Amino acid sequence: MAAQADQARHSKVFLELRNIQKWFGGVHALRGIDLTLRSGEAYHLLGENGCGKSTVIKIMSGAHAPTSGEIVLGGETFTSLTPIQSLRAGIETVYQDLSLLPNLTVAENVALNEQLVDANGRLARLFDRKRLKETAQKALAAAGLPTDRAFLNTIVSDLPLASRQLVAIARAIATRAKLVIMDEPTTSLTRREVDNLIRVVERLRSENVAVLFVTHKLDECYRIGGHAVVFRDGQCVAQGPIETYTKKELAELMTGRSIDAQRYRTGKPFDAGLLEVDHLAADGVRDVSFSLKKGEILGITGLADSGRNELAMALAGVAPASEGTVTMEGQAVSVRSPAEAIARGIGYVPEDRLAEGLFLDKSIFENEIALIASRLSNRFGVVDRDEGRRIAARLSEEMRLNTRDLDLPVGALSGGNQQRVLIGRWLSITPKLLVLHGPTVGVDVGSKDTIYRVIQALAEGGMGLVIVSDDLPELLQNADRILVMNNGRVVAEMDAEQATEDQLYKAMLTAATESVQ
Amino acid sequence: MSASRTEDLDGAAARTRSFSLGDLVRRRPETITLVLLVAICVMVAIANPAFLQPSTLIDIGRASVVMGLFALGVFVILAAGGIDVSFTAIAAFTMYSMTVLVQNHLPGMPIIIVILMATLGGAGLGIINGLLVHHLKVPSLIVTIGTQYLFRGFLLSFIGTVWIMSLPPQMGAFGRMPLVQFESANGALITLPFYFLVLPVAAAVTWWILNRTLMGRAIFAVGGNADIASRLGYSLRTVHVFMFGYAGALAGLAGIIHVCANRQANPFDLVGTEISVIAAVVLGGARITGGTGTVLGTILGVLLIVVINSVLVLVGIPSTWQRLVVGSFILLAAAFFVTRQRKK
Repeated sequence: MAAQADQARHSKVFLELRNIQKWFGGVHALRGIDLTLRSGEAYHLLGENGCGKSTVIKIMSGAHAPTSGEIVLGGETFTSLTPIQSLRAGIETVYQDLSLLPNLTVAENVALNEQLVDANGRLARLFDRKRLKETAQKALAAAGLPTDRAFLNTIVSDLPLASRQLVAIARAIATRAKLVIMDEPTTSLTRREVDNLIRVVERLRSENVAVLFVTHKLDECYRIGGHAVVFRDGQCVAQGPIETYTKKELAELMTGRSIDAQRYRTGKPFDAGLLEVDHLAADGVRDVSFSLKKGEILGITGLADSGRNELAMALAGVAPASEGTVTMEGQAVSVRSPAEAIARGIGYVPEDRLAEGLFLDKSIFENEIALIASRLSNRFGVVDRDEGRRIAARLSEEMRLNTRDLDLPVGALSGGNQQRVLIGRWLSITPKLLVLHGPTVGVDVGSKDTIYRVIQALAEGGMGLVIVSDDLPELLQNADRILVMNNGRVVAEMDAEQATEDQLYKAMLTAATESVQ
Repeated sequence: MSASRTEDLDGAAARTRSFSLGDLVRRRPETITLVLLVAICVMVAIANPAFLQPSTLIDIGRASVVMGLFALGVFVILAAGGIDVSFTAIAAFTMYSMTVLVQNHLPGMPIIIVILMATLGGAGLGIINGLLVHHLKVPSLIVTIGTQYLFRGFLLSFIGTVWIMSLPPQMGAFGRMPLVQFESANGALITLPFYFLVLPVAAAVTWWILNRTLMGRAIFAVGGNADIASRLGYSLRTVHVFMFGYAGALAGLAGIIHVCANRQANPFDLVGTEISVIAAVVLGGARITGGTGTVLGTILGVLLIVVINSVLVLVGIPSTWQRLVVGSFILLAAAFFVTRQRKK
């Protein structure tokens, strides 16, 4: 390892970022990033969601221009890069979404870009089919994929996800890459494919190519070796050889927050049971069982692909479960659709409130009564607006909205107040169980506080709550128990009062690579 | 799906795979178009053998030219995930303006220059579409609805509304110039006009651009996913300007051929036929969401619509039924494509 570090000092600097700042509107996403990448080295960019990892790689690949700062590439200084400039310099990115063109063939996805870059982005050129095939075959062989004609001509949308991932990697190494950036490359790979990937990376490094990983899977980082670069809140908080850090240290550096934040949860669950989930399976969820008492708050967390989102949607009937039973107050119930879930007293506040929940151009009043409009209407279908207004006013008060004007369009409210309207709407049907999916995503600190207080008040009133979130402090402060999911299963259950963020983080990450598909 | 690769590679792939009809239809949806076309021709031929006379076939060929040129342009735009409804207005604008220009100001202009100017004029108007779509970042449907009204409004307000019944002589001569001419059994003279050649040539050029140039690949790439294509280094601006310019050029060409073939210039013509052109392209297997389709499919789609429009009368089906037939074919073909997609 020491020899490797020694070698790193001597190898050439390929790319340097100097004091990179990036603003998105009012959001300060990167706060002065300095980063040096050397040829032949491996780097692991670590950090929580939203810490600026993706923004940095987009700046390197030319997808975003930094607000200020310098990019030094092969001795030349740039204020920003275009995608073609970046590609010509040999920076290849395997994006998390893979960035494959679904309607083109494997060969075209792998090898067409070589010709585009050679033509300097100009399109009035013939394309060389023979060269396309040769380049594609070489790259596919290097990535451990078949190179026969049938595979070359397969449309990418017909491929299974794991093969697509390898095709994306083949594209990155098809040209004379000098830096290969991989954004969460192993999320959909099986153990065997990960081994294959690690061999590919070793080969790249022996050819003096720098490799930058963005990943959550610490075990894999240790297996690959190289440098750890830890980001938090748009700043680089640590850099150094990965073997000098323990997993715990890395997790602490990533989360960074003081763990002694106050707990909102003071109440206790009732004795009566409310919900029994038995061997539930859905797309991405495997054999999940748990129970919930009245007045209990259950937190569920895990990585983005752990199945936590799917579990929430299965409970709410948005993406119904394929197997297993759900029992509410001793009665087996079916939740095949959101309407059925509502009828059974299950409310669901979706993660993406703009796309899935709110009517932005409609008023607070209309949004709040959306679920009870039929109950408010008489037999001619005319809605009793006065009664509706009374209910909406009561809900707004309960949710502590910062305005008394019920006719204000919801789009004019802040994120926190929008979320309160959405939760308020569910209170109008007084559900027995409320599933909150990322309740404070994109919400300011003040609104977070209000939402947490409302959550606690609801539990005190006997409602059962399930909070699905990747905001670990949020779960620790609010829940009674926390379930950690990994690869579709519940892998750990913790008492929220005793658990720490590190324990949760570790449970989320370990076993991720051990899973076999 | 199929034109998203080069078509000879495709043939090789088909040979190495186990052959099944379902697979063929999924990979080459224009098979359905061909089956429908053959089916309707066989039915009409059985009901009325007169359908198989050379004169009917030549009529179909002649009637396909203008719609075929339009359809090739629409196909290129559809392949890149856009849509265009202004091409008929571009055609009407260029054909009528050129006729007025030649008749009133430059009577001696050679026909080749007339055709060239109409094509370039169409390209210019198309480029306006492309720039608007790119820079306003408005869906192309909205932009081209706007420019359709704009181009047509400008034509009728500033250029003229008079129906020109007698064309400048060189234009009329071009419309009558024969490619093949022979006498039928009943002694009537049957002519396949020279301008018919324009369609196969334009189809070949379009095929070549889409399958042999980087621009062609870029068009399909953008149709597959515009964000990803731009991230990979394809210039969306170049693609937008090119595809609308190219469709505009084809529309300008179609307009001038329409005038020469009909031997009159009516400024109120053409606009209103957009939907049947788009229908032809979609019947040819191109998906309305972009990224798929073939030139061959587009031409088959055009032939299908033209055959329905021109020959149903031969078997005694009232012309008012054409719409019923076209409508049910579109639904039938669309349903078939979709179920094929789901089964994969």
